[in-house]
Amino acid sequence: MERKNFLRTFVFAAAAGPMIMDACKKDSASTTSSSTGETTAADVNAGSSACRVTPTEVEGPYPYPGGELTNPLNRADILGGQTGVPLILNLLVVNTNDNCNAVANARVDIWHCNKDGYYSGYSGQQGQSGSKNYTGETWLRGYQTTDDKGAVTFTTVYPGWYGGRATHIHFEVFINSVLKKTAQFAFPETISDAVHNNYGVGPNTTRNAQDGILGNSATDLANETPSLTGSIAAGYTGTYTFGIAV
Amino acid sequence: MTKAIIKLTYKQVIDASSTGDFEKNVLFASYQEFLLKSQAYNPGNKLKTFSEMKNNDGRANSLHYKLSFVIGYFIETLKNKIPVVTDTLGNSITFEVPKFELIESDVNSIATHKVAINYITGDLTLLNTIGEYLVLTAGNSEETFTIKMQDGLAITSYQQAEIKTAVNGHSVLSKLSA
Repeated sequence: MERKNFLRTFVFAAAAGPMIMDACKKDSASTTSSSTGETTAADVNAGSSACRVTPTEVEGPYPYPGGELTNPLNRADILGGQTGVPLILNLLVVNTNDNCNAVANARVDIWHCNKDGYYSGYSGQQGQSGSKNYTGETWLRGYQTTDDKGAVTFTTVYPGWYGGRATHIHFEVFINSVLKKTAQFAFPETISDAVHNNYGVGPNTTRNAQDGILGNSATDLANETPSLTGSIAAGYTGTYTFGIAV
Repeated sequence: MTKAIIKLTYKQVIDASSTGDFEKNVLFASYQEFLLKSQAYNPGNKLKTFSEMKNNDGRANSLHYKLSFVIGYFIETLKNKIPVVTDTLGNSITFEVPKFELIESDVNSIATHKVAINYITGDLTLLNTIGEYLVLTAGNSEETFTIKMQDGLAITSYQQAEIKTAVNGHSVLSKLSA
């Protein structure tokens, strides 16, 4: 309520106040006489200024700075200043125990390395340019909550690579705050090779089939590879459906 | 004494006994994130504490940095000023890097949740020490400031300064020993 309105209301309330209080007194007095004769809470309230409707106010501009948005990773655009070949990921979360119907309100966390093979957030990584320390930085990390169609979208760049791992993106999916899926995307190697040549780091020396984590089988590998359309110049769009047995 | 280039680190421990909005926000936000992210290191949800998770799987140490992201917003509100510790005139000390540390936690109780933020300064020039006081400058400033060594505050990087001297009119870089 603005101050001007508050003052106007206050003037009105001051004039109406005695009448309201009288009404309360009469009401509670009759209650007392007709019952046990003990003093009730209603009596106490009626005898004070407590018997009136409290004005409704907004919560205040800074009730809890940041509120539910305090996590800086709650974002669809996870670039954080990183550059590379644009990659938009349109993702769906579905329940394989329910005819693959959409799962709304699932939290999907994403993180991956930059075009030079480094992650934000910690030190001692080798990447493509020797040991780097990115403590305190948050780029290429984020999470979103699925809408009522089970969908989330992330805007990022095509990941680079570092020694020992095939090109990949990490995911975690939480449903009702329970970790229901830890997953990694693999990428089509012909596209990755072209992108990594564009990045000036050359093709990944760890191929998908050699990776110790991705693809325990060819079927697994195919099932964790998003469909990509686009080009290096225009960027790529990837689509993928997380099937989770909820 | 020989001048040295140092970095200072102040470690602020935050737990259930901490007061202040900043501390409470950090505690609450990092605990909520612990409940989510610790599940990756808690097979079958059989473990309760961070210590148990680390003993079971060393990769649980990833929680140090994984929880750090969630408090980024609150760190920003500090505007790079270290809380609690000031110089001897009460002026705030600027930090460059905040490093989050999960000390202990328990999936069943926020009362056990204990974290630390290590505030690491940029390069400072240590000009002298007077008892337990450090006389410092930042950058190329002529102005000095004084900080008292105390619990939670440490010199975490130390390099003897390279002093430029002129020898026979030629500029020479030499590293002086103490």
